[in-house]
Amino acid sequence: MAETKEFEEKSKKVFSAERKEDIWVLILAAITVILGLTGVITPKTFSSLFF
Amino acid sequence: MTDTNSGIVKYVPGLILCIILGWLSLQWDQSIHKWQKDFQESEKILKANIKDDKPFLSFAEYMAKSDEKYKEKLAAFERGEIKEKPKKPHTIKEMDYEAVAITKEIPFKFRFGERMIQFQLTYVAVLLLGGMIIRNTIGLPKVFQPGAVLARPIIKPGIILLGGYYLWSNLLKVGVFALLLVLVFILGTTVLVAVLGRRMKQDDGLMGVMAAGTGICGVSAAVAVAPVVNAKPRDFFYAVGTILLFGTVALFTFPYIGKALGMSEPVFGAWVGTAILNTAQLVAAATWYGHDSLLTANIINIVRGGFIPIVVIFCIWFYVIKQATTEGRQEKINTWQVIKDKFPLFILGFFAMVTLNELGVFTEDHRTIFGKQFLQVFFAVGFAGVGLNIAFDDLKKAGGKAFVIGFIAATLKAVLSAIVVMLIGTDAFKVK
Repeated sequence: MAETKEFEEKSKKVFSAERKEDIWVLILAAITVILGLTGVITPKTFSSLFF
Repeated sequence: MTDTNSGIVKYVPGLILCIILGWLSLQWDQSIHKWQKDFQESEKILKANIKDDKPFLSFAEYMAKSDEKYKEKLAAFERGEIKEKPKKPHTIKEMDYEAVAITKEIPFKFRFGERMIQFQLTYVAVLLLGGMIIRNTIGLPKVFQPGAVLARPIIKPGIILLGGYYLWSNLLKVGVFALLLVLVFILGTTVLVAVLGRRMKQDDGLMGVMAAGTGICGVSAAVAVAPVVNAKPRDFFYAVGTILLFGTVALFTFPYIGKALGMSEPVFGAWVGTAILNTAQLVAAATWYGHDSLLTANIINIVRGGFIPIVVIFCIWFYVIKQATTEGRQEKINTWQVIKDKFPLFILGFFAMVTLNELGVFTEDHRTIFGKQFLQVFFAVGFAGVGLNIAFDDLKKAGGKAFVIGFIAATLKAVLSAIVVMLIGTDAFKVK
């Protein structure tokens, strides 16, 4: 019973971590879009990353 | 004293490893794609030479001829004779041209690139296979493990950025079919597993997690449902083991099955979007197959993700409310709370990108940057995390009758959905 309760708490924690993860993901995507729209990232940026 | 194992620091080594692996694989991908183009160009040069039976042009003449052809096509486009604006023709380097002219053979590296593309050994395959091999042979040192786990969701910003490729009309067109597939196959599998589990007198906790996991969104749904059905840790790992095992088998076999069945990219996207359980694995399989495949699979994945709260509500009803009613008790469900708690937020970012594209905020360059180039950057880091986290020991955790039920349901869904998407056809699933 205690083990189940502990696991229940852990899975709730994992889900709230997924929620936080989604917020970070949104921030990361927003930064990329802003950099693209302001011209900091151009189509040449990607090819310049490789030989 | 600071505990170096806590906080952000513990993620750094694994993340750096995934970034390095991602960069190496993209470097590989760029090279083989360039060599493949060089292969096709060399083939054209050789064919033209054999057909005309003339001596090879000098490199300067070859470049001038190619430029002239491009200008002709561009003029035809400006006159409205051809619809699509021609792209600058691909030409090979002087040194390679000379080699083709002298040996009258296609250089080895070009043939190698062509062969690698034929076997679909792009960055996706390299990262997944390479990561899996590293993890299960030399092993992944503990210091890298937290970061490698954290790298997996880096696929999601890629999914959001891909939103810049769609218009709402595209989304609605494919979305209707996506909705039908989700309703029939995904909710159908959830119900089937739940009912079969009861009939076979399996534990509710285990079957609840398995029903959500095999039906909808793999591990996310299993995590969302676990507290509702009072799943025990053992149940959860059985279910996750089954989901991951099926996903891993599907990931490495579906692209080849798709090719063997002659599936077009949109049809394959619709199939993996329905049949592969885990988001990361389905995105990987679709990317592996091609960009159009990813565009379709992404819509189905988004629709599917939106259904997580519905699956949770079904599980609450099936395992808690229905059970309580049979026992003469009354249990209530706070539907809005479930939707608020379980709805995947990143989907909102995807919709924001579609709306910005619809409003004309993005130019063709922006779409290339977001939906092709930086999408690959995020995917490469994420796929490195996926590959490094495929541990055979985790897959071995799948077992028992519940595994049989879950695996049969997932396989049945894969076979039936393959038939249905092939019957529906490319036009319905083609985004553009």
